[in-house]
Amino acid sequence: MSAALRRCQLKAWLGIGLTVAVVVAAGAAPWLAPHDPLATDFAASLSPPGSPGHPLGTDQLGRDLLARVLHGARLALFIGVCTVVITAAVGGVLGLVAGFVERWPAALLMRLADVQLSFPFILLAMTINAIVGLGLRNIILSLSAAGWVVYARVVRGEVLSVKQRDFVQAASALGMSRLRLLFRHVLPNVVPSIIVVASLQFSSFIVAEAAISFLGFGVQPPTPAWGSMLSESRDFLYVAWWLAAFPGAALALTALSVNLLGDWLRDTLDPKLRV
Amino acid sequence: MRAYALSRLAQTVLVVFLSLTAVFMMVRLSGDPVLLFMPMDIQAKDVNEFRQRLGFNDPVPVQYARFVAGAVRGDFGESLRYRRDALGLVLERLPATFLLAATSLLLTMCVAVPLGVLSAVHRNTPLDHAGTVVTVLGQATPGFWLGLMLIYVFSVRLRWLPTGGTGGLAHLVMPSIVLAAFFSARIARLTRSAVLDVLGAEYILTARAKGLRETRVIGKHTLRNSAIPIVTLAGLEAGQVLGGAVITETIFAWPGLGRLTVQALLNRDFPIVLAAVFVVSVVYTLINLTVDLLYGWLDPRVRLR
Repeated sequence: MSAALRRCQLKAWLGIGLTVAVVVAAGAAPWLAPHDPLATDFAASLSPPGSPGHPLGTDQLGRDLLARVLHGARLALFIGVCTVVITAAVGGVLGLVAGFVERWPAALLMRLADVQLSFPFILLAMTINAIVGLGLRNIILSLSAAGWVVYARVVRGEVLSVKQRDFVQAASALGMSRLRLLFRHVLPNVVPSIIVVASLQFSSFIVAEAAISFLGFGVQPPTPAWGSMLSESRDFLYVAWWLAAFPGAALALTALSVNLLGDWLRDTLDPKLRV
Repeated sequence: MRAYALSRLAQTVLVVFLSLTAVFMMVRLSGDPVLLFMPMDIQAKDVNEFRQRLGFNDPVPVQYARFVAGAVRGDFGESLRYRRDALGLVLERLPATFLLAATSLLLTMCVAVPLGVLSAVHRNTPLDHAGTVVTVLGQATPGFWLGLMLIYVFSVRLRWLPTGGTGGLAHLVMPSIVLAAFFSARIARLTRSAVLDVLGAEYILTARAKGLRETRVIGKHTLRNSAIPIVTLAGLEAGQVLGGAVITETIFAWPGLGRLTVQALLNRDFPIVLAAVFVVSVVYTLINLTVDLLYGWLDPRVRLR
């Protein structure tokens, strides 16, 4: 086995293993966590990691940090999954239609997509979030509103190229209806790209959500979101490093595992795709 | 060439106009900024007077027409908080953001490009593997967490660097590292694959066969030819750098455009938000135009239309 192949497989296994671990930790958070993430205990406030009963220590209100980090994983994955599903559905359908129809509404749509892409993603999501209002539902909506464009562009490009392929031309010449052509022949050939884009976008959505919550928009305290936990930790950086270290490490680990998984998916499904 | 630049400039105007319209509509549909900005115990007639003065009592189309007429002349109204011209406030902050962005871009080019080239040239050696680990980790590390950890190590523990603000060179170190980190990881990965592509080309074989030294083969023949994808990504990432600046400036209390925008959003000071949107979209499209013009210089085969 060549060194390059071995390295690729190592990355793939690492990605799958870490992703499964993060998903299990998030799914089993209520059972794994030693305490309620919202339960305060002023007698034990700011205990360092390794204190009895609090493996990762506690925050300024005595809330258990391990419980908060684990519940944060639930929230992050929930937001990531919702956003990816919404953006993939909306952007995918729009891209499919824009690539298949090729009339002026589609061209106009893609121009608008270009305009939106010319704006920094995080700044756009943050601005929308600040305007429509804070909270869990609105952060999912604003991330989706900022993120659908990538799918629309990738899917449209794929559709345009699949349409030129011989088997589609042949099916069309045989008199297959356009709708059937779309669902039988074009859609199945576009799905791999959608999966790859989704996996690569997932971690950027999670990190963007944390960044937006960190800046004071998005998910608000006391809900245990990694971003708002990091934001609160800034006031205690001189006395309690663990409040900043662990939620951020959890976020980085999650982003790392999903990135590795996404790289592997791209290499196997669609090696030419650049996102 | 000139026709191309002109049509791109026309596109820039369209992009800026559409972004401003979108933000204006969202702001007006989201509710009354006046109430959020007034003290709790204010009288109803004062609210009304304030609203009258700022023109919030007119129908939305009238407000929009007035906004467009002002925006064309660079007038986005007065900041609700600072009581000063909004565009002026934004432009005042622009040099600080440029300084930060330029420093981190320089840092990226000095670290990421050599790292990518070394990885490609020494492909599948321990050096290459180490490079891959560093870039994969760098890509997964969120900038604001890196910032907090740097502050903890270098300001709180070692007391070498200030936690934030401006002043000497020392203030610039951590913000530019944080801003460069994510960017560098992507540029290094791309440089590696771009250099690998070029190294397989026949003119590289020719260059080696005619006995050129390896430094010359890499430095002259390879680097120039792998520059196009690197410059493209750098241009595309320029917008993400502006986005990253928002977070970096907030962590390190750097008085730039990003921090001003965050504060304006938190205060619902919308004249500043609109002026910032205007400046960001202009800057971003101009950067991309510059990147397009660079292609022609890097690769004379590219003809711009």
